[in-house]
Amino acid sequence: MVKKINPAELQKIVSSVPMISASASRLLQITSQPDHDIMDVVNLVKTDANLTARILKVVNSAAYGLVNQITSVDRAVSYLGQQVIVSIAIESCAGELFAKELSGYEAVGGDLWKHDLRTAIAAREVVIQSGADLSPDLAFTAGLLHDIGKALISDYLRGSAPDAVELISSHDSLDYLAAEEHLVGVDHTIAGEALAMAWQLPPELITVIRHHHQPALAEEAWRPLVYAVHLGDSIAMMGGFGTGSDSMRYKLDPHYADFFPINATILANVMLVVDTEFNKLSESLSDTGEKS
Amino acid sequence: MGQIILGVGDYGASNIQEDSIKTFALGSCVSVIFLDPKTRCVGMAHIALPDSTINKVKATEKPGYFADTAIPELLAQMAKLGCDKRGKGIIVKLCGGANVMDTNDTFQIGKRNALAIKKILWSYGMGAIAEDLGGNYSRTVSISVAAGQVILSSPGKPNWQL
Repeated sequence: MVKKINPAELQKIVSSVPMISASASRLLQITSQPDHDIMDVVNLVKTDANLTARILKVVNSAAYGLVNQITSVDRAVSYLGQQVIVSIAIESCAGELFAKELSGYEAVGGDLWKHDLRTAIAAREVVIQSGADLSPDLAFTAGLLHDIGKALISDYLRGSAPDAVELISSHDSLDYLAAEEHLVGVDHTIAGEALAMAWQLPPELITVIRHHHQPALAEEAWRPLVYAVHLGDSIAMMGGFGTGSDSMRYKLDPHYADFFPINATILANVMLVVDTEFNKLSESLSDTGEKS
Repeated sequence: MGQIILGVGDYGASNIQEDSIKTFALGSCVSVIFLDPKTRCVGMAHIALPDSTINKVKATEKPGYFADTAIPELLAQMAKLGCDKRGKGIIVKLCGGANVMDTNDTFQIGKRNALAIKKILWSYGMGAIAEDLGGNYSRTVSISVAAGQVILSSPGKPNWQL
């Protein structure tokens, strides 16, 4: 029998997760501001020896094939770009969560990271190719964190994947989110929101984590960002990078078109770029033992 | 030899009896499977998009990525193993082509992939004798050279044969 997660149990689960590091938290706050200065990122990285070491390791890895090694943080940050810096920072402080085997979804360890990375790249690319007035890098960061709640509730869902699939097939549940709620009392967006609040993430990231499957419910100010991740999530799943039994079992909200004028050709181009960029980013992160 | 694993945009063929060919997590992608009873070889392509005209460079680097370039390449691979170069006598099976739920036309890439593949096969006088397409779940598929068995799996469901 699947155990239900009540509010007290959810708080217990959240409390058992290590706090995000101060550097990563500050980095997410800085990079969430659309007009932030890259020097703020550089200066923050310099205060964190662990993050500095990881960033220098990535930039000098075989994936980038530099003839001359980069030894300064300024050059490393500038060369790698914000996407990679944020990926390294999140992986370094929440790597265990992302590496967790999602047995409740019949997904193997690493699937969550791959899915979130793919979603991040896709969300970013949707913004770029549609010309929307939104920070592509913010869409990337939001995509990277959107499904963190799955790592919290997966253990409670263990053994329930066939039941969830049946609930949806028989139309007793509208989608996997409803199936999660039916089976364990909460869905992964509620769990993710609780964790994001404990980590004191910026409100726009919390909103994405909570509403990425129902973007119309997001606060109006953040709705374009949430729709970007909503699309990125669908694109990642369509590309075969879901997280197991829930893959593809969510509805697409057609009101994305209010913010992103995407036609079939743009979508195909987005998927192509996502594939290339994902392979590149995965390779650069895995060369150093980072998640891939 | 043993298990040949194909990624997105890959294709391959084998007539070694101990081999199997497998590809993972077909979302909107479609796996085209060829079986030739005469030469006892099998082939598979993991196709992601219908039309290579959107990116000719990618099509050159990875022809298996697009339906219109993957099928001729897969036939060429099979021909190297003694199969008819126009696919005569080859059995075709298709799987994949899923879509997220309640999707609109733009996001029905799975459906477009399936249609493009069928159109190209038709131009060779070929057609699938079995297919497991559409739906809203990802599939993993494998085929053994010796038995020609096509086995599908998807999280939350028991395995099934095509």
